[in-house]
Amino acid sequence: MSVGVNRLPAPAGGVIDRSRTIGFEFEGRHFTGYAGDTIASALAAHDEWLISRSFKYHRPRGVLTMAGQDANTLVQIGDEPNILADRRPIVEGMVVTGQNYVGSLEQDRQSWVELIGRFLPVGFYYKAFYKPKWAWKYWERYIRRTAGLGTVNLDAHHGYFDKEYVFADVAVIGGGPAGIAAALEAAKAGLEVVLVEDGARLGGSLGYARFDAEGVRGRQQLRVLAAEVEANARIRVLTEATCTGLFADNWMSVIRGNRLYKMRATSVVVATGSLEQPAVFKNNDLPGVMMGSAAQRLIHLYGVRPGRKAVVLAANSDGYGVALDLADAGVAVQAVVDLRAGEDSSAQARAVRLRQIPVYLGHGLRKTVAGPGKHHIIAAEIAAVEGEGRLSGAAATLECDLVCMSCGYSPTGQLLHHIGARFAYNRASHMFEPAVLPAHAFAAGSVNGTYDLEAVLGEGRHAGWAAAKDAGGQVGGEPARPVDKGAAGVTHPWPIFASDSGKDFVDFDEDLQVKDLVNGIADGYDHIELLKRYSTVGMGPSQGRHSAVAAVRITAKETGRDIATMSVTTQRPPYRPEKFGHLAGRVFEPERHTAMHHRHVELGGRMMLAGLWYRPAYYGKKEDRDKAIREEVIAVRNNVGLIDVSTLGGLDVRGPDAAEFLNRLYTFTYAKQPVGRSRYVLMTDQSGAIIDDGVACRFHDEHFYVTATTSGVDAVYRLMLFWNAQWRLDVDVANVTAAYAGVNLAGPKSREVLRKVCSDIDLSPEGFPYLAVRMGTVAGIPARLMRVGFVGELGYEIHVPASMGEALWDALMAAGKSEAIRPFGVEAQRVLRLEKGHIIVSQDTDGLTHPYEADMAWAIGKSKPYYMGGRSIDIQNRRGLTRKLVGFTLDDPNAPVPEECHLVVKGPEIVGRVTSAVISPSVGRVVGLAFVAPDQAEHGKTFDIKVAGGRIVQGRVVPIPFFDPENKRQEL
Amino acid sequence: MAGLDPAVKLRRSFVYRTLQSLGADFQPWRDASVAMTLGGSVESETAAGRKLGLVDLSPLPRTGFKGTGTVEWLTEQGLRIGADSNMAYRQEDGSLAARLAPTEIFLIDSLAGEGRLVDRLNAAWSWGTEKPRRLVGYPTPRADSHCWFMLTGEHTPQMFTKICGIDLRPHKFQQGQIAQTSVARNGTIVIRDYLGALPAYHLLTDSASADYMWMCLTDAMQEFAGRAIGWSALKRLAGSS
Repeated sequence: MSVGVNRLPAPAGGVIDRSRTIGFEFEGRHFTGYAGDTIASALAAHDEWLISRSFKYHRPRGVLTMAGQDANTLVQIGDEPNILADRRPIVEGMVVTGQNYVGSLEQDRQSWVELIGRFLPVGFYYKAFYKPKWAWKYWERYIRRTAGLGTVNLDAHHGYFDKEYVFADVAVIGGGPAGIAAALEAAKAGLEVVLVEDGARLGGSLGYARFDAEGVRGRQQLRVLAAEVEANARIRVLTEATCTGLFADNWMSVIRGNRLYKMRATSVVVATGSLEQPAVFKNNDLPGVMMGSAAQRLIHLYGVRPGRKAVVLAANSDGYGVALDLADAGVAVQAVVDLRAGEDSSAQARAVRLRQIPVYLGHGLRKTVAGPGKHHIIAAEIAAVEGEGRLSGAAATLECDLVCMSCGYSPTGQLLHHIGARFAYNRASHMFEPAVLPAHAFAAGSVNGTYDLEAVLGEGRHAGWAAAKDAGGQVGGEPARPVDKGAAGVTHPWPIFASDSGKDFVDFDEDLQVKDLVNGIADGYDHIELLKRYSTVGMGPSQGRHSAVAAVRITAKETGRDIATMSVTTQRPPYRPEKFGHLAGRVFEPERHTAMHHRHVELGGRMMLAGLWYRPAYYGKKEDRDKAIREEVIAVRNNVGLIDVSTLGGLDVRGPDAAEFLNRLYTFTYAKQPVGRSRYVLMTDQSGAIIDDGVACRFHDEHFYVTATTSGVDAVYRLMLFWNAQWRLDVDVANVTAAYAGVNLAGPKSREVLRKVCSDIDLSPEGFPYLAVRMGTVAGIPARLMRVGFVGELGYEIHVPASMGEALWDALMAAGKSEAIRPFGVEAQRVLRLEKGHIIVSQDTDGLTHPYEADMAWAIGKSKPYYMGGRSIDIQNRRGLTRKLVGFTLDDPNAPVPEECHLVVKGPEIVGRVTSAVISPSVGRVVGLAFVAPDQAEHGKTFDIKVAGGRIVQGRVVPIPFFDPENKRQEL
Repeated sequence: MAGLDPAVKLRRSFVYRTLQSLGADFQPWRDASVAMTLGGSVESETAAGRKLGLVDLSPLPRTGFKGTGTVEWLTEQGLRIGADSNMAYRQEDGSLAARLAPTEIFLIDSLAGEGRLVDRLNAAWSWGTEKPRRLVGYPTPRADSHCWFMLTGEHTPQMFTKICGIDLRPHKFQQGQIAQTSVARNGTIVIRDYLGALPAYHLLTDSASADYMWMCLTDAMQEFAGRAIGWSALKRLAGSS
C-alpha cells in the first residue's frame, strides 16, 4: 500500500508514525497515509496539491502554511464543514471533500466567475442587486445558494461537547522555544504551570526550522527542552489545544477536541510565535506556492517532499535555510530569488552558495505560470527589483512546481490584542510589535519581535521568571534579557509586486487583489478599519493573518501616511473559529422533581415545567386533556382530590421580630395573628406592584411558616434577606421549599380520608376550623397542616419532610381509595381557583398591577405605619384607577371562549385584557377575569372582548366568586 | 436488586429508584433504607471507590442550626466548632459540623450513620421558657432540604473540573474546607472530608435536584470509568485509609 510518491525517509517526518497506516477518502478516491499525517500532508505525499477552491473566483487552492492558519485548505468531512486540512489528522475511513465548487473539485463549473472579475470590483455588492427591485427575488436565491463555505447538515444530531476548568499559577500559551523556556523557568519557582500548544507536540519552530547550516540545532534543542518538560511534574502540557481567547484577569478559553477548557491563571506568558507572511505577485495563490515554513513543515514534521523543482523567494536568512532543507529532501532548487540587493551573511546563505544553488540578489517574482486548469504552477518569472514594488521589464522564467516564500513575519499577537496590549510599528524590523502589555501578562519569542534562537530562549526564561514573580512564586535571580533580538532584516518592508493584469492576491480568503484595496481607498475608505469593512480584507476565515499587514502597507502608501502612525485592524476573540457545541458544552439544565414526581409519572401525569419544577398538568392521555381536566375538577367538587403542591415556596421566618418583619414586608397585618391560624400574604414591590402572594401560618409566637408562589419564592427570599439586613430586626429567614413536600387534599370527602391516617389532631370543624393550622402526624409522618381554600372546597394542605413526601402520597391515595380519591393537576387547580375568583400572581396581574386595581383592597392593613410599597399604593389610589380587574361571564352561550390576553376594547381604544377564562364545569358557563376600564367595572355592565379572528364578544361583569358565592364549602 | 424494598420505609432516598436500577441491595437503617452495594461485591466497589466512586448517603442523619446564638448553644451541647467559616469541624463521634457562616452550622453524621449527636441535638432544641427568650438559633431541616452524596477516589478532583469552577484539588482545597458554590449550575455545598490521602468530598445539594445532580455526576464520571458504589464500600474505604 503506497503512502505516496513524495514520502521522504526518516528522520524526516518527526510527527508521523510509520508503523501505522491509515486509509481515507478524498474526493471519492482512496489514499493512504501514516498516523500523525494531516489530510493535507497525506495528500501532498501522493502529489495531490489541489485541496479546495477559493471563495469568490473559485480558483484552485492548496497548501499555504501547513499550520492551520489559512483558508486555502478548508475541506468538508461528512457533516462537518470548514475543516483545516493542514491541521486535522487523518483517521481510518474518513471521507473528505473539497469545498466551494460546482461539479468537481478539478472541473469547477463556477470558475468562470474569474473571467468576469473586472465587473465584480470591491464593494460591488453594495452597488448592485438593489434595483430594479423586482430582480431581488432572483438575486437573493442565487446569493443564498452561492454564499457561505461548506454544507451544514440542518438535521445533525447533538454532539458530545463538554467543558473543563483548568487552574494554573502561570499559563504559557505556545509550546515553541520561548514558551518551553518560560514554562521551565516559572516551574522553578514552585508554581503550577500549564503549557498550551496548538500543535501535536511541543517545539514550534524547533521541530521544522533550520537554525544552522547543518540543520541539526533545532531538533537537538527540542530534544533537550522536551525532556526537561517531561521530567517536570509542575508543568501540565496541553497539546493540540488552541487558546482562542485571552480575557480580563487572565481568563482563557482553550479548545481541544470537543472540549472547551476554561482556564484561569494568575499570570500568563504569551509565546505564540509569528506568522510567515506571503509575498504579493501574480498567481501567488495557486497550488505549488507556499510559505517557506510550510515546505519545512512538510519535510520535517510529515516526511513529505513538497515539490520536485523549487524557487525560493527570500528576503531573510530563513529563506536560505528553506533552500537547504529542500535540497536535502531531494528537491532541485532552481534558484534563491532574494529581494535584497546585498548578500546574506548567514551560515545558511554561505552553505547555499557552497552548494552552488543559483542566487538572484535584488530580484523578485513577477508571477508564477500555471499548468492545465491552474491546478499547479509549472514555472516562475523573475525580474530585477527596481524600486519599492517595481520590477524591471526584463525577466527570466524558471521551470518549477514549487515556490517557497520567505519574506518575513508578523507576530501572532491576537491573544495580546484580546487583553488590550498596544502594538506599534518597529521601523527597524518592519513589523507591528507589542509595545505595552497589560498587567500580569508577558510576551516572549517572535510574538514579541525576537527571532534569534538564543535571544528567544533567553527572553522565554525572563518572561517565565517575571510571570512567576508576578504570581507570587519564590523566584531566584533575574535571568538576563537578550540585548539583540535578531529581528533586523527578518521582514522585508515591501514584498508586494502588483500586476497590471491582477490576480496578485493580498487576501486569499476573500480573493482580494492589490487593485481592490487601491480602488477601495479611492472610493474614500482610506482608513484601514473602513477599508476592512468595505473591501472585507481580513474578514475571511483566517481573519487577516496574512493580509492585515499588507493591507496596512498599501493603505499607508496610497494615502501618503507614515505606516508607523498606523495600526493593524482590531483582532477580537476567538483566535480560531469555535463551534456552537464548544460554547454550549454539556447542557446543564437543572430540573427539580418533587418527592411524588415518579408517582405522577406512574399515574399518567402529563408533566409541565413551572420554573425548574416538573408538575403534573393533568392525568391522562394528551388527546383526552380537556375531559381529564373536567373530570378532575368534578372529582374535587363532588368527592375528593389530591394535588402535589410541593413546588410552592416555603419560608420559615423565626425570631422575636418575626411578626413585625412580616408587617413591613406584606400588605396585611400579622402582629395580632393568633398562633394556630393562617393569614393571606400579599407582597408588593416598592412601586406598589403585586409581586407575590401566599399564606403566613403562625406556629409559634416567633415562628411563621410563609408560603410563596412556585416561581416567586426565590425572589421573595432574596427580598427577605435584603430587608432583614437593612432593618436589622431579630429575625432569621430560612428557605425550606425543598425541605417540605406538600399536598392539598381537597373536596367534601377530604376530612373522611384524612381521619383514616391522622389521629393526633382534632379534625372536627370546631377543632380544626377554616384557616387554622396544626402540627401533628399523618400516616406516622410529622406534618404541618393548614385549612386553606384556594380551590374553594373543604381542604387540607399537608406539608411533610421531603424525604417522606412519597410515603405521604401513598398513604393518602390508599386511604382515599374507598372514596374514589383522584389526583388532580395544575390545570384543574387553575379552573377550580378561577371558579372561586382567586387570582394567580403574574397571570391575573402584571408588572404594574397594584392591589386596588386587582380589587384586593381587603388585603391591605390600612392602619399600619409602613409596608413595602405602601406609599406608592396610596399615591396610585389617590390618583384614581385606570383599570380594574373584574369577574365576567358571557351572555351568549355560543360565543367563543376568550383566551388569556385577548383585548378588552372600547371602540378603537384598548382598555384592558382578559387574564383568565374557562368554561366552568361547576357553574356550566364561561367564567373569567379581565381588566376593564373603571367605568365598566360595575356589576352588570358589559364590555367588548376582541377574540381570535378579530371577532367581538360581549362580556358581562358579575360578582365573584362564581361558584359557592358565600364560601360555605371551604368552611365546612 | 436484593434486600429491602425502600418504598416500605417512610423516609426514602431522593434517588432510590436510580439505585434500584443499578441493582442496589437495600438494607434497613433507622427510619429509612440504605443501598449497601450497587450490583457489585463490596471488594469491587471498594476498588472502584479508590478510583472514582459516588455514594448516596441521603438516608443518613444530618441536621442544621442557624441564627443568633447557634454556635454558643451548640458549644454548650459539647460540639467543637472553630472560628473560621467555610470549614468543617470533626466531632468526637466522627460527625462533621460544617460552619457555613458565623451563625450557621450544617451537621452531617459520621459515615457510621448512627446519628447519636444529630438525634441528641434535634431533641435538645426548644423555644425555651425564659422571658425574654434566650436566643439559641433555630433548627433547619437539612435531612430534607439537601440530598447527601459523597465522591471518593483519586480521579475525583479531575472529575470536578468538568462541573465546578472551584479548584478542589487536594493541595488547593484542604481537608475540612467548604466551598459553597455551583456544581453543574446547581447551588451546592462541597466539603472535603478526612479520608487520609484518598480524596473524598461530600456534596450537599437541593434535594429536589437530586435526580439531576446524580445524572450530571455519573455523566462526568464516565470519562474516568467512575461508578456508583454502596455504603459498605464507602465504610471500608473510610476504615482502611
